[in-house]
Amino acid sequence: MRTKNMIVAVLCATLVPVVGQTLADEFSQADLERWSQQYMEVANQGRQLWVSADLGTNGVACAQCHPNAANTHPETYPKFQKQLGKVANLWEMVNWCIRNPLEGQPLAADDPRMTAILSYVTYERRGVALDPGKH
Amino acid sequence: MKFRLSIGAMALLVAGVPLANPPLGLPPVPVPADNPQTPEKIALGERIFHDKRLSATGEVGCVSCHDPAMAFTDSPKRVSVGVNGLTGTRNAPTVVNAAYMKSQFWDGREPSLETQSHQPFVNPVEGGLENHAPLLAVVRSDPDYAAAFQRVYGKAGEQITMTEIGQAIASFERTLIAGNSPFDRYHYGGDPRALNDQERRGFDLYLNKARCVSCHVIEQDQALFTDNAFHNVGVGINQIQDEIPPLASAFLEAKRRGADVDKTVLTDPKASELGRFAVTDDISTVGAFKTPTLRNVARTAPYMHDGSLDTLREVVIHYNLGGKSQESDRVNPYLSGGIRPLDLSEPEIDDLVAFLEALTSPEFAATTATTTSPTGDEDHEPSTVTAQLPEAGERDRSDRPAAAEPGAVELRQPESGLHFRLPLGFPHPTHQGD
Amino acid sequence: MAETNLLSPKPDFVLYGGDIAQLGLKEEIDHGLELLSPLRYKTYHALGEHDYYLDLGEYWERRIGPQYYSFDHKGVHFVVLNSILTHDDWINKWPTPMDRMMTMAGLDNPEGSPFMVGDKQREWLRRDLAKVAKTTPLVVLSHSPLQKIFRNWNFWTEDAEQVQALLAPFERVSVLYGHVHQIQYNQIGNISFNSAMATAWPWPYPETYAQAPSHLPVLTVPMNRADPFQERDATGWQFVDIHSGRVALNYSLNDNGNRVVAYNAATGQPEDQGFQPADARIPPQTHY
Repeated sequence: MRTKNMIVAVLCATLVPVVGQTLADEFSQADLERWSQQYMEVANQGRQLWVSADLGTNGVACAQCHPNAANTHPETYPKFQKQLGKVANLWEMVNWCIRNPLEGQPLAADDPRMTAILSYVTYERRGVALDPGKH
Repeated sequence: MKFRLSIGAMALLVAGVPLANPPLGLPPVPVPADNPQTPEKIALGERIFHDKRLSATGEVGCVSCHDPAMAFTDSPKRVSVGVNGLTGTRNAPTVVNAAYMKSQFWDGREPSLETQSHQPFVNPVEGGLENHAPLLAVVRSDPDYAAAFQRVYGKAGEQITMTEIGQAIASFERTLIAGNSPFDRYHYGGDPRALNDQERRGFDLYLNKARCVSCHVIEQDQALFTDNAFHNVGVGINQIQDEIPPLASAFLEAKRRGADVDKTVLTDPKASELGRFAVTDDISTVGAFKTPTLRNVARTAPYMHDGSLDTLREVVIHYNLGGKSQESDRVNPYLSGGIRPLDLSEPEIDDLVAFLEALTSPEFAATTATTTSPTGDEDHEPSTVTAQLPEAGERDRSDRPAAAEPGAVELRQPESGLHFRLPLGFPHPTHQGD
Repeated sequence: MAETNLLSPKPDFVLYGGDIAQLGLKEEIDHGLELLSPLRYKTYHALGEHDYYLDLGEYWERRIGPQYYSFDHKGVHFVVLNSILTHDDWINKWPTPMDRMMTMAGLDNPEGSPFMVGDKQREWLRRDLAKVAKTTPLVVLSHSPLQKIFRNWNFWTEDAEQVQALLAPFERVSVLYGHVHQIQYNQIGNISFNSAMATAWPWPYPETYAQAPSHLPVLTVPMNRADPFQERDATGWQFVDIHSGRVALNYSLNDNGNRVVAYNAATGQPEDQGFQPADARIPPQTHY
């Protein structure tokens, strides 16, 4: 099995230069910086949503209970959430908060605003080890 | 009849260790280490549960307010009726699945099934006995009881106390377990057809917009439909809210002087509304009552601790109004924090009620006809059924065996459950007279 | 309000720890006072940042009274401080009062500024305390903690040490504060510190923010709420017993066991009467 894989790998490595393309996973420092900046832009959009009342209808903002997104524990998801009655993803819990304390309409999982919120929340917990299921 | 009941008991044994395989949607039944389940003890507890001699008039037993034919409640009574037609202040909660509760009674004033049953015998508006002595005299002298206590506990005469009686009743109650509702088959059993469209919409409301799940808890692999906590949801106390300050201090004073909480709350309608406060003296629990299970709730009308709401629809409207039954009512200032208007539309209310009606276990599916068919929902199947013809309205999604259990018709219990979690059957209330 | 009206024994008075408004608006202060109006007790107010940074406390003063003051009750000297002042240049840099208010209202807003009691008020405090015997029990109410716990969220008073120095000569000093929406307690010299719960919403303990160091007093046994989702978590009121000249706080907690944090004369510090010993604490969380 191992030998076979190695052969395949060698074949690829020798074939690619022949057709004159760069490796698919090659990237430059400039790429890294640009992508990181793109992520930070989205995280900053999330921060703006976090402190604004725009997600709800009653003036409440996420940051009122979660300054710096503290106590959101993105590293513990998925986990059981009593409010949701099941093991849930963080975005589902975000929607619970939007519905309840904020009295707003929930967002689709792939709504750019949800992506922004999750980007911000996760950024504030960067460096913390994953601990799924923890309470 | 007795013969068939004992077959039921054997079926339990054949099926294996009691409680080993809880029905769909429920966890194993917790059994305290100092009161293990045995078939003999269960049978003894069942007998005591049905014995009306153990009251002041010989007319009231546990079964009077926890009638197997009414999902172990006294539906449709608003509040329970004890000796001499005296009424209490509270609606009888079902005994079914009470084994999972972390406290007993609406205000949780007893921590365990073992001790809970001591109180109704001697409450003046329930069993009406002055004390437990007459009851003990009966069980100590009755030859059948004496034999049973000897068999179960190796005890006789004055060795038989309320402790043994409470343990036996608790053991019987731990067999009154029912899950496997259409909801369970849909949510845990992988059967997408077990709920119809309207019930599924109701489930979504239950989890989200209506926020029922906040207190009536559902988990990943089980649903007790209770948080075992106490909440002031604006029932009863709304009407006397301005009287609470003097009531609360008078109650504390009476309690300090030795008043019995059990007797006071069941005989004084206003003191009853103090709820959990009467037990804890904790001001933050004024007007708070235990979250009841919602299993089989369609069979246990009327609702709330005082039976003041006649239908599930009225209950949903109460919550939809943010903790009051009428628009013109005023919510009490002790209301629990999470209770606020839900903004459910009329069709949404119908959907939610439909979902609640899908929480009925097969054992109780045909007890009484309470369902009103909502309008505007094509795929709703009328579920009006009768006790005599359990199959008539049986939904095709039921996994109930096609043939009726032997004895079910004779017992006039629509779903005997002998094959199931209620192995001792739902004995007809009159069986113990023979 | 309704619950505190039921208290038995009746409290002599109520201390309100500040932030009756959210954005300092007149209608918010009016509304808050209306909500408090059922209280059957005399109420002493402290000023919070949410009351202050729109009009610098003008309407609050008009409706409620002076921003700092003292009084005596049954042999205890009570001092109420405005601890949420800050630098003049920060106050004056905003284009509009609402910009200033909105910035200070965001707990985690990096554009905020540290709270302080300030020179003028400390001088007033010095003169006020000069009249009081050192054996008199002293109770100080402020909005922010008169100690330094976490600067990012202003769980902090910039001149805390200087205020503490003025309190230090007294035999029995208890500082009560709001702002933090959680149980905190501490002992620094003769001074006991105890926080009050909020009437608004919960706040996390600072250490749940991973990106900045915090200094929750090691004495504090945190609330059993590492992952709170009760909307009423950390909200409520405390019954404070000052009979001994030191405070004992009876915390009424939503969906959590009630707690009592009282000064222990034997150890010379406030302690939780149930959970203080390490082996009495509740690991892990028993709720979600």
